[in-house]
Amino acid sequence: MAENSTATLSRVNTPPAQTWNYLRTNDITLQVPSVSRKGDVYFALPRLFEGIECGMGRQVTDWVESQAKDAHYVEVRAGEKREEPIVATMDTGVMVRAGAEATIVVCTGGNEDSESAAQSEALDASPQPATSAALVRIWAERDARVHVLEFVAADDDRQHLESVGIVAGDRARVDVRQFFLGARTTAAGLACSLDGANARFDLSCRYLGAGEERLDINHVVRMRGKNGRANVSESGVLDGHARKALRATIDLVHGSSGSEGTELENVLVLSDDVTNKTMPVILCDEDDVAGNHGATIGSVGPEQIGYLANRGLALEEIEALYVRALFDEAVLAAPTSAIRATVLARATTVLGEEVARDLVEGLGLDGTATEED
Amino acid sequence: MSERTQNRTHVDDVDRSLYDFTYSEEGYERYDDGLTPDIVRAISQKKDEPEWMLNMRLAALDTYHAKEMAPNWGPSIAGLDMDHISTYVSPRTKQAKNWDDVPDDIKNTFERLGIPEAERESLAGVGAQYDSEIVYHNMREEVAKSGVIYTTIEDALHDPQWEPVVHEYFGTLIPPADHKFAALHYAVWSGGSFVYVPEGVTVEYPLQSYFRLNAEGAGQFEHTLIIVEKGADLHFIEGCSAPKYYEANLHAGAVELFVKDGARLRYSTIENWSKNMYNLNTKRARVGADAKMEWVSGSFGSHVSYLYPTTILAGDRGNCEFTGITFAGATQDLDTGCKVILNGANTTASVDTKSISKDGGCNTFRSSVVVGRRAANARCSVSCQSLMLDDISRSDTIPAMDVRNATASVGHEATIGRISDDTVLYLMSRGCSEAEARTMVVGGFANPVSKELPLEYAVEMNNLIKLEMEGAIG
Repeated sequence: MAENSTATLSRVNTPPAQTWNYLRTNDITLQVPSVSRKGDVYFALPRLFEGIECGMGRQVTDWVESQAKDAHYVEVRAGEKREEPIVATMDTGVMVRAGAEATIVVCTGGNEDSESAAQSEALDASPQPATSAALVRIWAERDARVHVLEFVAADDDRQHLESVGIVAGDRARVDVRQFFLGARTTAAGLACSLDGANARFDLSCRYLGAGEERLDINHVVRMRGKNGRANVSESGVLDGHARKALRATIDLVHGSSGSEGTELENVLVLSDDVTNKTMPVILCDEDDVAGNHGATIGSVGPEQIGYLANRGLALEEIEALYVRALFDEAVLAAPTSAIRATVLARATTVLGEEVARDLVEGLGLDGTATEED
Repeated sequence: MSERTQNRTHVDDVDRSLYDFTYSEEGYERYDDGLTPDIVRAISQKKDEPEWMLNMRLAALDTYHAKEMAPNWGPSIAGLDMDHISTYVSPRTKQAKNWDDVPDDIKNTFERLGIPEAERESLAGVGAQYDSEIVYHNMREEVAKSGVIYTTIEDALHDPQWEPVVHEYFGTLIPPADHKFAALHYAVWSGGSFVYVPEGVTVEYPLQSYFRLNAEGAGQFEHTLIIVEKGADLHFIEGCSAPKYYEANLHAGAVELFVKDGARLRYSTIENWSKNMYNLNTKRARVGADAKMEWVSGSFGSHVSYLYPTTILAGDRGNCEFTGITFAGATQDLDTGCKVILNGANTTASVDTKSISKDGGCNTFRSSVVVGRRAANARCSVSCQSLMLDDISRSDTIPAMDVRNATASVGHEATIGRISDDTVLYLMSRGCSEAEARTMVVGGFANPVSKELPLEYAVEMNNLIKLEMEGAIG
């Protein structure tokens, strides 16, 4: 019989190199439900996946494995181009064989009933707020193409943990698009290891923090193979009393000669009550490499305000444009109508029904989920 | 060997012959190794301190023993065993105001380091510390007449006019509980400088303190307290060196700088400790409204460094500029950087750092920029550039930013790489040899820092880097 209790995930989502502890930027501590599954048989992923580093760290991996009812393993055969997206569950492993191509989707919305695709599981006996989690491990063999789409568009009563680990072989190309659009707490970690030569990783992370929301993001790119390329781009909007910590690390490991890693973050701060923490890190153990990072944090520039004000927009409307742009991008990226509906539901909550409708019409989309999703 | 390897730049090690000479400690007063309340009391008694200072020392000792080092922090200091460090070593000499009154061996030391010559040519005053005590202190008469005080903390404590001032400021900016080695510092501090610049006074020439640690297996714990009153202006230079031993030495100084409204302070440091030194130093400045704090920092020596000068822009429209260079060679693990806290409205800060790693040396640049809720329209930019000269060295960049004001603007950029082949090729196409081209690139890389230093220090820095390319490729 399952026994429900809570557990503490202490100081998780940590980067490889840390800053002063008193800044409280290095990690996050979370209270999560803990359901005893003693006596249940857990069908784990192949042992190979145990070696994949995940963004939120070992503690979270162990917790998810202890809480998931089952692991979901998908293999894309060599050379196959899989059209249908692979929908991640709470514990998912995907093997993309040599030369294959696949799209993997992780989506968490506000209402379990409204989601027909890409669900991470809402855990039983959750403390307040309710907790959901997704653990996704991906192995991309040589010449594989992998597209990862992550959507977190939950309401303010949800705490969501999302930990992703990726290994890329020779000439493998991995692109990840993350949209963190809502949840009381979103704790997301992603680690990608470019093991093979000439492998490439592109990450685009877009986030919105509003109200009392908390975002804790940890990105780690390990560049191990020669001539690797990594481009990490993060941007977001923070409003209300939102608290955000972003840690992004590019690790140029010894032997990664010829590699180049770039990381850039732009943050738009709309309220004096926001807490924005950014920690862009480069670790370099090789000389014939290039590592760059940059961050800009600020409000809407006076030139932009002036330009838009001349066209009749008030400051609030100008700021709302930036929020809407996030939803525009997320809606366009949604691979299924169910996920699009999840994003639009969140847009309705944040921007209002009229703007959400305008957003759908403006993009010429259908905002409802269809049965085939 | 690959072609890329063959093209690596060869840069000689820092030439330390200028600094690697020692004199016998025979006849010196040396306290037992380790840390006990009796040793702390003995240091306090020797200095005939007021009771509040002794109490502060003893409380700090308790704090030191109680505090743990964070397990996730920087380079290891496992080789530092306080049970084998003497916290007080002193030559049996009195503080002099004339170099002729300084014992020959100590005078020779400072002459070889060029201190008396610099004093004659371009300084308003000099303090020279040898091991735990100041052995020479002097200031130009005209500067003294303007009301500037430049003396030791010990002397200020015995002056009825300045003892209350020291009491008011000492240990307030860097509290003993700040971290483990701050606590150690307050337990056993000895030597250092007290500077007071009255309101509106501009000190035309820099003041300089030079710290030399001659003793083996010893620590140096000087305390520098500088107060620049409203509208005043000062340039203070700090230099330090030590000969190399095979036993760990420790430097755990503290620098507290108070820059009042409308004042300006430039604090320049050339740190060239020997490679057996653990340099765990703490520096902090509090800057008032419309005031300016400028740091120029060159770190070349030590085995392990933890050094992050901190600036608190407390008043509105305060400004901070930090310019630094760190050179890590074989056996060195230097964890350096800075912290800026912008609390006042319309405050501005800019940080520009460079690092060079070679022969297995490790550089870590660490920074934190914190913009408080009250800091409307604060502006801060951080730039960090790292040059890797071989594939056995390491360079890490770990900045952190915490912004809590919507009208603030914070920018950060960092690059790590090696000398670009394209740049070398371009220079060679204009008639330079390859060695000359690489020398020019590395020299240009360090130039933004060296140009901020007084001429004699810029020369010293360039000697330290010793960019003798020699055409020794591969």
